Amino acid sequence: MSLFIERLVNGLADGSIYALLALALVVVFRSTGQLNFAQGEIGTLGAFVVSTLTLSGLPVWLSILLAMVVGFVISAGVERVVVRPIEHRNPGAVIVALIGVFLAVNQLVAMFWGVDARGLPNVFPDQADDFVTIFGAPIRVARLGVIGVLIVVLLLLWLMFNKTRIGLAMRAVANNQESSNLVGIRVGTILVVGWGLAGAIGVLAAALLAPSAGLTGTLMLGPFLLASVAAVLGGLDSPVGAVVGGLIIGLTEAFMVGYVDFLGADMLFPVMLVILLVVLLLRPSGLFGSERVERV
Amino acid sequence: MNLPVRVVKGSWQNWLGRVVLFGGVGLFMFRAMNEWSRSGLGLLTDALIIAIAVTGLNLITGYTGQLSLGHAAFFAIGAFTSAMLVTGKVWSPFFTDNIWTPGWTMPVAAVVCFLVGMVVGIPALRLKGIYLALVTLVFTEAVRALFKYGEFEGVTGGATGIKGFGYLPPSWTGLDGRADLVEWFFWLSLAILVVVSILSAGLLRSRIGRAMVAVRDNETAAAVMGVNLFSIKTLVFGLSGAIAGVAGSLYALKLTLVDADIPIFGLFGSVTLLVALVVGGAAQNWGPFVGAMFYVFVNDFARGVGEAPSDAAILGWFVDSGTKINGLGGVTFGVLLILFARFVPFGAVGTMRMWRSKLVQVVPRVPAVAGVVAGRSSGPLGEEGSGSVDPTPSSIGAVESPGPIDPDRPDSPS
Repeated sequence: MSLFIERLVNGLADGSIYALLALALVVVFRSTGQLNFAQGEIGTLGAFVVSTLTLSGLPVWLSILLAMVVGFVISAGVERVVVRPIEHRNPGAVIVALIGVFLAVNQLVAMFWGVDARGLPNVFPDQADDFVTIFGAPIRVARLGVIGVLIVVLLLLWLMFNKTRIGLAMRAVANNQESSNLVGIRVGTILVVGWGLAGAIGVLAAALLAPSAGLTGTLMLGPFLLASVAAVLGGLDSPVGAVVGGLIIGLTEAFMVGYVDFLGADMLFPVMLVILLVVLLLRPSGLFGSERVERV
Repeated sequence: MNLPVRVVKGSWQNWLGRVVLFGGVGLFMFRAMNEWSRSGLGLLTDALIIAIAVTGLNLITGYTGQLSLGHAAFFAIGAFTSAMLVTGKVWSPFFTDNIWTPGWTMPVAAVVCFLVGMVVGIPALRLKGIYLALVTLVFTEAVRALFKYGEFEGVTGGATGIKGFGYLPPSWTGLDGRADLVEWFFWLSLAILVVVSILSAGLLRSRIGRAMVAVRDNETAAAVMGVNLFSIKTLVFGLSGAIAGVAGSLYALKLTLVDADIPIFGLFGSVTLLVALVVGGAAQNWGPFVGAMFYVFVNDFARGVGEAPSDAAILGWFVDSGTKINGLGGVTFGVLLILFARFVPFGAVGTMRMWRSKLVQVVPRVPAVAGVVAGRSSGPLGEEGSGSVDPTPSSIGAVESPGPIDPDRPDSPS
């Protein structure tokens, strides 16, 4: 039982990180209709910024906040400088540009911070004796902290989308850009803010993952793939779906590695494929995604 | 002289254009053959192999409009099929000895990938756009995981892969065994690319090709017009996979080893193929060739910039000679891709065709009836020149054409 609780919490904690990243993907998809390939890499870059800032003596939480600002600026810049001019001409070419951004950011990290792995201090207490006991299972505080961060981020996003003017504008733009423009919303600004927000969330996810996973240039490659699966599973235009999808994937991973010996961690993607196919063949737009009705 | 100049299809001017085009490509190949070093020729062969796989991808993504990030999986399946057959790791019926010669494993790889591709095509009936792309991407990683899976080690080689096979030139080629291996693979890849391109062009001119373009432009409308979506999608996914599988088989025989950890068998490979397709020009008959050449040679150039930045134009001012900057090559390539997407949005061939249509247009031979607009469609990748039924000009910049509506107008003139 205690082992089960431990795996459950670990699964939820990993799932929270996928959920955060999936949220970022969903925010971008709702505004631009693109899967942001560079999302994970911007997060990795942010995590390296955190590492540099903490080494210079800043407290970890402040470093993460500053790195999130950096992530916001980079991601907003990508929207304004790379994506928008290309999208006007040919939406199909945006995918190539985003792959270009992915590659450039990935290698920029290698250029500035080298290719050696480094550690990153945890923002939550993470010493050997920092655990609480739940139903007899020792649970690390840092793991609970990650789940807490997801809840806080969700709360803030919910407040922003439902209680502020800019959130209202963002929902309007996600719904219909042209009409939003007609009622006086500055669509360009909203898109930049949406992408920036996604960049900041991506950095947060990377900074939470790096202490346990080790900070390398490929930190976010696997998590990005799993987060995309999570976002698609939940429905690419649904924030709720992203969170549910992320948690499903985190739990699947934890229980599969824990209980199904003959599969183990190596067979993660075949299992993901099966889950994805079962869900998508029943609901082609994901669990919570809205069906698009097309006129012929 | 009024621009654009109109050239009647099949006239001597039209043939002159074709001769110049093919002659130019031939000259490029000939120069590459003769003047480049062995490594240059090896690079060219890599580009040709990628071009074969991209030709396959072009069928499903370019012409049928189904975004696939799964073609690295077919590439891997083709490669492993060849490797497993040649080294005798799979049971073969009726014979106790291993009868498989390297060359004959390629058709087998094609058949295997065709069958797998038909199965992959089934989800494409329900899924669209990014959803399909993501499922095929996970399929790639799943296939890779299966090849790596410990339980199958006896067949697939597991984590270590399969080594110790190859493909020496047969005696009729006149090439000298091991010494001319580079030349042999160059000619073999070129021959296969030519055959595959001709077959694909033929397919596009057939009833199936029309159905593919109809499905891309509007699936529901195509279904209403009597196109069987199930058979078209599964068939084209199968064919497309089979072509990518042949490329993979060729790749394995050239490399003389397979290993699930080779980057091109995973996410990276799928992305490479898609980038090459879009950069060359989706739904363009020359797109895969140009895109693959661009990808391989620009990548090589960018790597060179990273190795010796002092040779590059601007960086030379800042960097001492002999320095090597980690990651600079990748950054250069990434930035080049962004710039390319920004300034050549329809791919090299698509954009060139757009420019050319401002100077020269090929029109059908039928007597002219003025005032018909040749509509141009934009599919998911914004390719142009497919001869859509929709007469409204799209954002790509439709060009007024004086020609009549020709029911037999091929999708890709010239």
